[in-house]
Amino acid sequence: MSGRSGAIFAAVLLAIAAGAMAIAGANPIAGFGALLHGALGGERQLSETLVQTTALLFPSLAVAFAFRAGLFNIGAEGQLIVGGLFAGLAGASFVAPGIVAIPVILAAGALGGGLWGAVAGTLRARFGGSEVIATLMLNIIAALVANYLVVGPLHAAGVAGPETAPLPVSSWLPVLLPGTRLTIALLLALALAAGLSFVFARTVFGYELRAAGDAPAAAERAGIDLRRTALVAMTLSGAIAGLGGATLVAGVLHRFNVALSPGYGFIAIAVALVGGLDPLRIVLAAFAFGILQSGSLTMQALAHVPKDVVAFIEGLAIVGLSARRFAGSRGDGH
Amino acid sequence: MTTEDAVILRGIVKRFGSLVAVDGVDLTLAKGEIHALCGENGAGKSTLANIASGVLAPTEGTVVAHGTVGLVHQHFELVDRLRVWENVVLGREPRRGLRLDADAARDRVRALATTYALDVDPDAVVETLPVGIAQRVEILRELAREPAALVLDEPTAVLAPKEIDALFATLRTLAARGTAVMVITHKLQEVISHTDRVTVMRAGKVVMRAATRDTSIDAIARAMVGGELPALAARAEVALRPSFTARGLHAGEGAHALHDASFEVAHGEIVGIAGVEGNGQSALTDAIAGVLAYSGELTLEGAPLRGNPAARIAAGVRVIPQDRQREALVLPWSIAENVALGDQGRAPLRHGLTIDRSARDALATSIVKRFDVRAASIRASVGSLSGGNQQKVVVGRALAHLPALLVAYQPTRGIDVGAATLVQSQLIEARNAGAAVLLISFELDEVLALADRVLVLYRGAIAGEFSRAGFDRARIGALMAGAA
Repeated sequence: MSGRSGAIFAAVLLAIAAGAMAIAGANPIAGFGALLHGALGGERQLSETLVQTTALLFPSLAVAFAFRAGLFNIGAEGQLIVGGLFAGLAGASFVAPGIVAIPVILAAGALGGGLWGAVAGTLRARFGGSEVIATLMLNIIAALVANYLVVGPLHAAGVAGPETAPLPVSSWLPVLLPGTRLTIALLLALALAAGLSFVFARTVFGYELRAAGDAPAAAERAGIDLRRTALVAMTLSGAIAGLGGATLVAGVLHRFNVALSPGYGFIAIAVALVGGLDPLRIVLAAFAFGILQSGSLTMQALAHVPKDVVAFIEGLAIVGLSARRFAGSRGDGH
Repeated sequence: MTTEDAVILRGIVKRFGSLVAVDGVDLTLAKGEIHALCGENGAGKSTLANIASGVLAPTEGTVVAHGTVGLVHQHFELVDRLRVWENVVLGREPRRGLRLDADAARDRVRALATTYALDVDPDAVVETLPVGIAQRVEILRELAREPAALVLDEPTAVLAPKEIDALFATLRTLAARGTAVMVITHKLQEVISHTDRVTVMRAGKVVMRAATRDTSIDAIARAMVGGELPALAARAEVALRPSFTARGLHAGEGAHALHDASFEVAHGEIVGIAGVEGNGQSALTDAIAGVLAYSGELTLEGAPLRGNPAARIAAGVRVIPQDRQREALVLPWSIAENVALGDQGRAPLRHGLTIDRSARDALATSIVKRFDVRAASIRASVGSLSGGNQQKVVVGRALAHLPALLVAYQPTRGIDVGAATLVQSQLIEARNAGAAVLLISFELDEVLALADRVLVLYRGAIAGEFSRAGFDRARIGALMAGAA
């Protein structure tokens, strides 16, 4: 998206947001003020915004990874949940010093998400099935299966809610700022963004991935195996989302709960598109959406703007940007 | 406006942003005449046609038309799944109450077809028709609006010689009935044989106007290029050695499949495949490239040629595909990134897990220099280059190292004469240097100019073979159209 059309799009969204606040009976200026104060007003607010940024960053990078390979993965939410479930089960049952347990938990999350992504990747690579429909449906399956498992067969004794047994404290992700929920997951996410940026720009693997996404017919003739690329890209995309789920389990909730994600995997689609599918710009986009996420509660409390206004705006952003993505290749002629 | 003029364009200027596509053109189309509009790619011909027919509004200037102006597009704008009569009446369907009056529509199409001797079954589904017939449908659709003038954009690009004669016979009938006809073409033989008046454009301006009988192919070509035509590279005497063989090759499905093709291409030889589009050329190219399943046997240098496209490339096969923008290039990428495509997986471009950017840039720089790619730098996106310069990148990449077998499918499609001559010369140079070259082209003149041996492809089968000493243009043209 060019700078100008991006600015217009952002302005339209802001205007709609102001309109929505007014319709909800609130003062839009007070609403925006409360939103910003709630997100950036102090150390506690800022750390919470960074927690949200981190939670969004993993699935956003996952979505971008698949998009760069030409795959519209809207299943980051499901992959994140399965990854979180794997991480929660591994974390609750595997007791070891943190230096051992934490990598195992994160790996379990990546494995779970990767497997879930591989299902859609296999359907696409082997049978030519649409990854859009597959990942959309797998989101629902993931949520229902996870729910069934933690209230049913895998229900731990002495646990009340729809969740796994808690992780031992030694398996929690180390906290960056004492007294906050901000953990090294943020550093992990930033390192991942930098790593992906390198992969896209410099490696043969990233080159082949981008070729498959940008010009599949040319890529195929250049000896790039499109089926294999689709499978690998969906698997790794799922693994990144699953890793994100694991960081929520080990860093924020300290257990797997069915309410692990308030839709991070869906908001991630907008974040990835706003960030132009570029890992480093996605970091900035994730921070902007993190502000919305963490400021919305304060906005509701202080300015009496329903926090649903934020979800509403995020939904509009996803619809608008997705439509642009699909229509993008047309209308460029002279 | 006299009663003899159907369309008068005065002082037409058309700008797209900073690009001036048409720069002050006056043009008159007279009733009863077939008018040829010639020019290189990007000269502004199609833009002018769109302005004459009202599709585009001019930035400056006036269009005076004595009635409507029909436009037959280069790429047909028909609904493939609909029947002929449905396409012809689309948008102006006769109605009976709320219902479509199919009988009236059919009758109208039949009457039109009879009037203009355009033989076509009104109930045929368009996607089942050969291109020559589909084009008649497109013309019928325009004639149904009873235009004062009919403009045809590159109408003969997809036709066999016989079909071309039939088309111009139709256009002559139209002209005789008082319609002004303008044909945009770059095939100068057709201009000389079939038109009354010729206008040549270059860089948005008219550079030549003449009565066709007063001019020549050479004069028109010089006007198009703006100087003398560059000469083609000379053919060297090369000792032929066996290189590539195809045995009993079947590929593809349906009307465009290839059937039981067996042939050889030697080192130091250009074998030309002559044929009208849609007679198995794509299946042949794709089978050799490894992107289409086939049966039969291919060998290169005595070893079986099989496996995926990567294995073919490693064995020394390079393919210049038909659609450079889709099948050969990644348009948003730079020249430097594009030249690596196909070689990204091996030395010298691959360096461990990464691409060696200095080796890649050196390759791009050498291709830009050797193949005269006109670009601001190797960082320029290939999408920003002209078609001719895009094709030079594709050809340069294929010939950066001499391949064992080069398959060139429509290598000069839609590029200007200068670039086309350079590309053709490079094919000859590759042959002189010992490559086996398979040239697949819908332009018979190109095949005859370059090939050492010509195979005619008709309905997916090889219908005839000619060596350079025995080229018989009329006979080859007849075989292309299905003569026994």
